Amino acid sequence: MKAFVIDLSVCNGCYACQIACKDEHVGNDWTPYAKPQPDTGHFWLGIKETVRGTVPKVMVTYVPMLCMHCADAPCMKACKPGAIYKREDGLVIIDPEKCTGCKLCMDVCPYDAIFMNSGLNIAQKCTGCAHLLDDGWEVPRCVDNCPTEALKFGEEKDLKKYIAKAEPITPDVKLKTRVYYLNTPKKWVSGTLYDPKEKEVIAGAKCTLTDLETREAIIDETNAWGDFWFRGLPDNRRFKLKIEKGKKTVTMDSICTDTDRNLGDIALK
Amino acid sequence: MSVGKVKEKTKKTKVKEPLASMADKTVYKALGLSGGIFGAAPCAIDVKNDRIVRIRPLHFDAKYDPKTFNPWKITKNGKTLEPMYKALPSPFSLAYKKRVYSPNRIKYPLKRVDWNPDGERNTQNRGKSKFVRISWDEATDLIAKEIRRLHKQYGPCTILIQGDGHGECMFVNATHGSSSLLLDKMGGFTQQIRNPDSWEGWYWGSKHVWGSGLIGMMNPANNIVKDISEHTQLLLVWGGDPETTPWGFRGQYASNIVRFWSEIGIKQVYICPDLNYAAAIHANKWIPVLPNTDAALQLAIIYMWIKEGTYDKEYIKTHTIGFDKIQAYVMGEEDGEAKTPEWASKKCGVPEWTIKALARDWAKKVCTIGHYFGGGMIRGPLAHEPARLECILLGMQGLGKPGVHQAQISYQGMPRNIVSKKTGSHMGMFERLKGTKYGDRLLKPHSITPTAWGKQMIPKTMIEKAINEGKIDFYGTGGHEVPTSDQFVKYSYPIPKEKGGAQVHMIWTDTPCRITCWNCGNDVIDTVRSPKIEFVLAQHPWLENDCLYADIILPIKTIVETDDISPCVRDGESFQSLVLMKPAIPPIGEALSNYEAVCEIAKKLNMYEEVTEGRSVPDLIKDVFYGLGFGDYISYDEFEEKGYYVLPVADDWEDDVAGLYDFYKDPVKNPLPTPSGKLEFYAERIAKHFPDDKERGPYPKWIERSESHDERISSERAKLYPLLLMSNHGRWRVHAQCDDITWTREAYTGKILGFDGYKYEPCWINPNDAKARGIKDGDIVKVFNERGGVLCGARVFERVMPGVVSVDHGARADAIIPGKLDRGGAINTVTPAGLTSKNCAGQATSGFLVDIEKVTPEQMGKWMNDYPDAFNREYDPDSGLRFDAWVEGRK
Repeated sequence: MKAFVIDLSVCNGCYACQIACKDEHVGNDWTPYAKPQPDTGHFWLGIKETVRGTVPKVMVTYVPMLCMHCADAPCMKACKPGAIYKREDGLVIIDPEKCTGCKLCMDVCPYDAIFMNSGLNIAQKCTGCAHLLDDGWEVPRCVDNCPTEALKFGEEKDLKKYIAKAEPITPDVKLKTRVYYLNTPKKWVSGTLYDPKEKEVIAGAKCTLTDLETREAIIDETNAWGDFWFRGLPDNRRFKLKIEKGKKTVTMDSICTDTDRNLGDIALK
Repeated sequence: MSVGKVKEKTKKTKVKEPLASMADKTVYKALGLSGGIFGAAPCAIDVKNDRIVRIRPLHFDAKYDPKTFNPWKITKNGKTLEPMYKALPSPFSLAYKKRVYSPNRIKYPLKRVDWNPDGERNTQNRGKSKFVRISWDEATDLIAKEIRRLHKQYGPCTILIQGDGHGECMFVNATHGSSSLLLDKMGGFTQQIRNPDSWEGWYWGSKHVWGSGLIGMMNPANNIVKDISEHTQLLLVWGGDPETTPWGFRGQYASNIVRFWSEIGIKQVYICPDLNYAAAIHANKWIPVLPNTDAALQLAIIYMWIKEGTYDKEYIKTHTIGFDKIQAYVMGEEDGEAKTPEWASKKCGVPEWTIKALARDWAKKVCTIGHYFGGGMIRGPLAHEPARLECILLGMQGLGKPGVHQAQISYQGMPRNIVSKKTGSHMGMFERLKGTKYGDRLLKPHSITPTAWGKQMIPKTMIEKAINEGKIDFYGTGGHEVPTSDQFVKYSYPIPKEKGGAQVHMIWTDTPCRITCWNCGNDVIDTVRSPKIEFVLAQHPWLENDCLYADIILPIKTIVETDDISPCVRDGESFQSLVLMKPAIPPIGEALSNYEAVCEIAKKLNMYEEVTEGRSVPDLIKDVFYGLGFGDYISYDEFEEKGYYVLPVADDWEDDVAGLYDFYKDPVKNPLPTPSGKLEFYAERIAKHFPDDKERGPYPKWIERSESHDERISSERAKLYPLLLMSNHGRWRVHAQCDDITWTREAYTGKILGFDGYKYEPCWINPNDAKARGIKDGDIVKVFNERGGVLCGARVFERVMPGVVSVDHGARADAIIPGKLDRGGAINTVTPAGLTSKNCAGQATSGFLVDIEKVTPEQMGKWMNDYPDAFNREYDPDSGLRFDAWVEGRK
């Protein structure tokens, strides 16, 4: 079975994958695999870009999203005319000749991976570049274009070592997918500690972040820049932060990880 | 974010070669956009029935055993950086199909409808009136007649060649400067000298500290990628963006280097007003600094080092001169004001405690400063000051020591190939070519960009002043590859009449982007409409920017349609290569190559034989192949059959001395090319030649306001224009190139669809500043100062610090009121007219005062009513401007 592995920690957000898909499918007719993609508006592979944090603790996360080629694809079941099928290699294809444009598949896809081509009145999505694989290519265009090897493609069994570390990109959807994500974004809490009198950062302060639900505590120490970073935190949890250096302490009672939290420059008086 | 991830061993992705899927041929092209003699980003183009099927990265190993490349390897902490076995082109190179088939392509020769060389020229209507189709025959007749008349009336130097800058990588068909092959043989011309537009500060400043004759950056910079990997602990990426700016020049390998440095534990600190694309994914720390206030921050770091004694005192004694002057100035002995962190913080917006932490961490660690041209620090007013301070900071920590460099990341310092090894650098190849029979002729058009050799010269930043005032003086041509001493030579325009001097009355441009890529774009528009300019000839593939102000426009082929050859031999890719570039498809419309177009004009002037010297394009391609010395490695027949060649890495590349190590080890034996042979913190030459220059004195200072510039937040002007605008090279463009690619325009930081259905260039705004002005993400905003207004789309987010807005330069100009209000996002229309400083003819196009306001539907309605032509032109939001909008009989 074919599978994608996408390592978000090495994606540089260049969009070459998104563009590869357009280059291959816009203006090119690969029937019976796929009819031409409209020039704009379709993202059979689309980059989802998120700016996280506030100045000056900010980062950007890029997530390439595409058809997950689900083992038990809900779109296949929903498709009344039976236009959606799974190939022997696991790739899920919408037969452009059979599709009637009823959009039922779009309604059931939890990944918004299917797009309506109103000009042709058909639903369209990633084919895994099956037309190229059948012609001897080892990887689809998006993978060939990727400059950092963030995108990998191959036999599921050959990718086992990555798949073992994979995490679902949408935890609330319980489907067996064949696109595996590594290093999915986790919430963080960060800040900079300083002495308001001396106008100096404070290094080596003990920072304790306590999960108010589990009472579990994580400890970090401010670095040479006065910065602390708690990474890999669960979503939507409340935490208490205690910062200590010498006899001075500062506490913050309710920090919620509904979003990444930059607590700013914190004065330790 | 990528810290701690071990890079997997390179796994090759195999692509079927040579006949790729569903295609009848594959052609190779260097689709980098730096242009000139240096190719980059080699791609394979699959073609069927004369149409492009796909464009994909060239796999170096498609036709060669990769062992023959002698692959390099850099190892640290058990982790390895290796080459990739494919090229890593930018997204816009990979989307180049959209450029080739752009609806904005010029399909046939055009003449402005109301330009009559025998009657009314209506120069005031340039940029307003439309064009009409004419034949090549008619166009070349008109051009030849005008050239003859102008030569006779004013002399050859009356023709200004704007034939420099970036573009497609065509060698024989020279993207720029082909016109010089003709005019040089007809008595000369006036050369527009391209200033160092991406690195002004280093050129006009650093050169005086370290004396380098090569563009102004640290030189030599050989083998520093390995050296940084092995020795550097802290990387300060100051201003530039290694995840963006290398794209158009060499592709994306820099991304892998920077990620590797994180993986091996080098801490990366990004000092820039914007969270640029590298900072967004690689930064261990982002220090937002107000645009063009880096000098204040730098001075405070020097203050801390002096106060705490944490600099290399021995090195200062043996390797530098003038430290006493810097010390006196920084500590306040000279002007009574110590340059403390408290002093700096108010100017640069960085908290005092962070300035101190930066100074201390830097003093403790082995530190390199990284760049990739552009960014917030190096292109602003008085950019030579932060540039020189950077050299001083590096000098105070032992510049040249292992791990202590200034690094233009991946641009220089990667493992050397066999040819560079043999000849000293990649430039050696071109020296060799120069010595061959047709070498000089092949290199001539390209030499317009980096050197100054025209009979009469005008710096690109001063074209408008020269034309309007009829006389200018300037110090230094600004040519990239001229020695530092040229900056003390006084030049004048026009040169004396007896030497052939003449006022410019004709502009011949093959680089029609002066409005959107250089300083004071609105002045360009006003100037080109002057009746003094009797004839404007443009040749270009796309109907954009300055083309709209021309009288005759010639349709030019893209690289994809052209027969050529490209040596991709500069650093920045996994391997260097030579690419044979057969035409992939027939020309679009009646397009010819730049060179072929010049030949057509030459025919009408009876100069064809002189221009071609009897050599055909295929002959010249072979002349390049043999002239560069590739015949030593592969036969032409095999090269032609394979379509490309990969240069092996030199066996002993690891022994190459890193950066300025020799100077560090023994400054007496290995002096710098300065008068003293040392790092000159104090430049005696500047003191002698410019005793009254308060903008660039003999050593760098913080200058609040000056003769040329008043662009600080302390200015009276800041009451009206309280925001500092920074402008970097585009994420989705190379200068003005590629603004029409529908697929990149769709990216989140691409264009923004306004309520009126127009796709606007984004203006980055911090949520605080947006809120204060009632602006929401996606709104149309006007960015303005007294020099004019530019409409943009608001991108409100945390990627820019408060008090700052950021607009990439190079968006295609689309005037609502020419010279006053632009809708295309061409931010350079409102940049300062002032030069870098009075004796430095650079541009100051980042770090200037503006304000922004929301554009309401009422305001837009008023403009629509007042300027109906600007709004009724055919337009398509997906790709933007269109050929049909400007050509009579189309729509």
